[in-house]
Amino acid sequence: MPAQVEIRPYEGLINRVYEIFSIVDKLPENMSDEEVEGIMHVLPAELAKTMRAFMVPRVRSVSLKFLGLVKKWLDGAHEAKRTGKKVLLVPFNFPPEIVHCFENAWPITSEVLSTLGVVALEGQGERYWDYAMGLGLPDFACSANMIEVGSALTEADFAPDAVISDCFASCDINSKTHEFLARYLDIPLLFLEKTVDNSERGIKQYYKYFFRLIEDMEEFLGEKLDEERMRMVVENANRASELYWELWDLHKFSPCPVPNIFSLNTYGVRYTMWGTEEAVEVMREMVDLCKQRLAKGLYPAEAEVARSLWTYTSYYFDMGGLFNWMEENGITHLGDGLDLIFPQPIDTASRESMITGMAEVARNMPMTRQMGASSMSVQWLDDITWASRELDANCCIYCGHHSCKQTWSAASVVRAELMKRSKIPTLILQGDSWIKRMTPITVLQETIDEFVKNVVKRREVQARATG
Amino acid sequence: MRTLQSQSTDIYTDYVRDWKEKGGKVLGYACVATPVELIEAAGILPYRIKAFGHPDTELGDAYLARFNCRFCRSCLQLGLEGTYDFLDGLIETNGCDHLRGMFENWQYVKKYEFFHYLKVPHFLREDSLDYFTEEIQLMRRAMAEHFGTEISDDKLREAVDAYDEVFDRLKRLYALREKVPPVISGAEVMRLICTGSSMMAGDFSALLDEVLAEKEKAQPIPYKARLMIMGSATDEVDLIEDIESGGALIAADALCYGSRSFWRREGESGDPARLLAERYLGNLFCPRMFTEYDKRRDYILDTARRADVDGAIITYNKFCDLHGVEAVSLRMDLEKAGIPVLVLEKDYGSKADTGRIKTRVQAFLERLGK
Repeated sequence: MPAQVEIRPYEGLINRVYEIFSIVDKLPENMSDEEVEGIMHVLPAELAKTMRAFMVPRVRSVSLKFLGLVKKWLDGAHEAKRTGKKVLLVPFNFPPEIVHCFENAWPITSEVLSTLGVVALEGQGERYWDYAMGLGLPDFACSANMIEVGSALTEADFAPDAVISDCFASCDINSKTHEFLARYLDIPLLFLEKTVDNSERGIKQYYKYFFRLIEDMEEFLGEKLDEERMRMVVENANRASELYWELWDLHKFSPCPVPNIFSLNTYGVRYTMWGTEEAVEVMREMVDLCKQRLAKGLYPAEAEVARSLWTYTSYYFDMGGLFNWMEENGITHLGDGLDLIFPQPIDTASRESMITGMAEVARNMPMTRQMGASSMSVQWLDDITWASRELDANCCIYCGHHSCKQTWSAASVVRAELMKRSKIPTLILQGDSWIKRMTPITVLQETIDEFVKNVVKRREVQARATG
Repeated sequence: MRTLQSQSTDIYTDYVRDWKEKGGKVLGYACVATPVELIEAAGILPYRIKAFGHPDTELGDAYLARFNCRFCRSCLQLGLEGTYDFLDGLIETNGCDHLRGMFENWQYVKKYEFFHYLKVPHFLREDSLDYFTEEIQLMRRAMAEHFGTEISDDKLREAVDAYDEVFDRLKRLYALREKVPPVISGAEVMRLICTGSSMMAGDFSALLDEVLAEKEKAQPIPYKARLMIMGSATDEVDLIEDIESGGALIAADALCYGSRSFWRREGESGDPARLLAERYLGNLFCPRMFTEYDKRRDYILDTARRADVDGAIITYNKFCDLHGVEAVSLRMDLEKAGIPVLVLEKDYGSKADTGRIKTRVQAFLERLGK
């Protein structure tokens, strides 16, 4: 059965996003409000909406750096293709620095690409989703992958040379989608299973699988990992990790000096360019800006009403409508599950120590760590409990992304136990984090607003009254 | 056979009642990756969880969610409302995301004294086989310690042999369904497999002997078209009955409450734990196993050719990620092989779906010219 949507080569997601991001290089570093407004008038509506969110004065300077990093990441993929290197499609929970360690490879991340399609393209990437549905793929698949994968399936877009999947045991739909893509495009599928086992034995087995993956990559790329190159990448990753923890600590102040959209920026950096100097630079920019905001006591609303921790993903089809709207209404977004990357310094003493260190990082990537644990609900709850206490969250929000069957199956227990142990209420939303037609942003805003007014604020008032 | 038919969709069958009344222990499991030989060798009745009766799922929905497969929500419902209180413990496997959620929530509420998580790798390689062998040893030790029973190598070998006897008989039964004209229907076969999945191997073999003797002399069943069915975990005997009510005959299957639970159980190790690891991990025809699509496709095509089917139904429960994605590749490959396909996405056990399913099957038969 042919797919119902025809896609021409110049209409592929990566190709289109790449063209659009060529604008970024042309933007001056210090843009005035007038210049920003001028640009909005020439951009397509969807892109203008996104740019408006990124170009609010309080985050503009960092946004330009961040968008520049994304552009460089896309440049890297095209450059790799042009020079005969291999482009590896990875899921978000695979640390891209592992790929950056290889001279002959470049990582592209399917969830990041889907997000770019959603935020930058007219129609928000839904045509690629529709293409995948036309092939018969199920409508309960994950849009985070299926938008990009749908484009790749057209065989008209920029194509990866291989797929790495490390979602075995932490997300069925992600794993199956990538496996399907590799088969469909007839390209290799390299894989790494998470042992759903937090015991010493389970960790040891995971390391064994990880070392085997490195061997498979070396064989596929025809390149032995070079210790010096690896050290350079790992040192960059270590510096970015230090900055990550600085940013984490800055979240602890109230009102929070970290703009909400930095949650997205953080993992935007993490899932693309971690291990490069560009990633270090953007992380540093974010930290510096937050320090300045802290010193000046800046916050976008009169008061910080709620400090929310999103327990899994956020919503990505309207950046301004979520991140900016929240903070302008006094609701701080302290980060979400995808920010829980638990970066650790990697020992650069030897090739062995660096690979082991990266294995440990991979084991603790978001989703892998929680959903690939011995118990999904226990590990997820532990992480959310710890993060909410650390950041002094007074509420949690679960996005309820339709396709996350594994988190959906543990969300109820996590909500109940979080309330029991930490007295933190959780709002459970329902929608698709990447597709606006499931639950519109206005409905999400109303629901969050009601939750904050009726649950979070009321509890604060009661708590004050009872001392 | 009549008694069997009347009881085959009961959860607490006479057989299980008798077993319990005699002081026997019963362990629940859900996934075909569970080495039942190990449970049998411990003198415990392995009971494959089913959701017969397709209950309303209000409790299941409260712990899982509407975005989880309804088969798992239904099993959880029965577990939480007490229908499964006769179980003496549960064996969890990481069959799929929904199944893991089902077990976690079940245990969260019920807190069985014996709850063991058997971690099954998602691919077959020497290192994953080593790991799974250790997993089997851990499960063996956990059962032995908790139930105070010895599971010797000899007992394990006996259990393996006993199950091989069952599998031989089931293959003979399948041959009766595959032959032209057939003497047993798809619904009857599923009833038998569901029944046997909560019996000790020797007793199931004896039952199969009776059924085989009866069926070998039975009158052929009239039909319009021979179909093969494959897809998600389901114990829906009534679904098969609905499909067959319009003149189709399910002549072959690749269901995990069907041939996938027994067809191949090869292994060569002399060590019984390693043998079990080989038998199971090496023969899991389930889309949860990655990088093994070709093996599954070949198994399905071989089965379809052997049963000389006119068409195939790929069915999966709404929200079943593994089979939902796999269905696309399978449809393409079956059609390439000249086998017409009907893809049937459905809600598990939904009576509201009955009319729609019958209509679609009827239209499919018309497409086949039957």
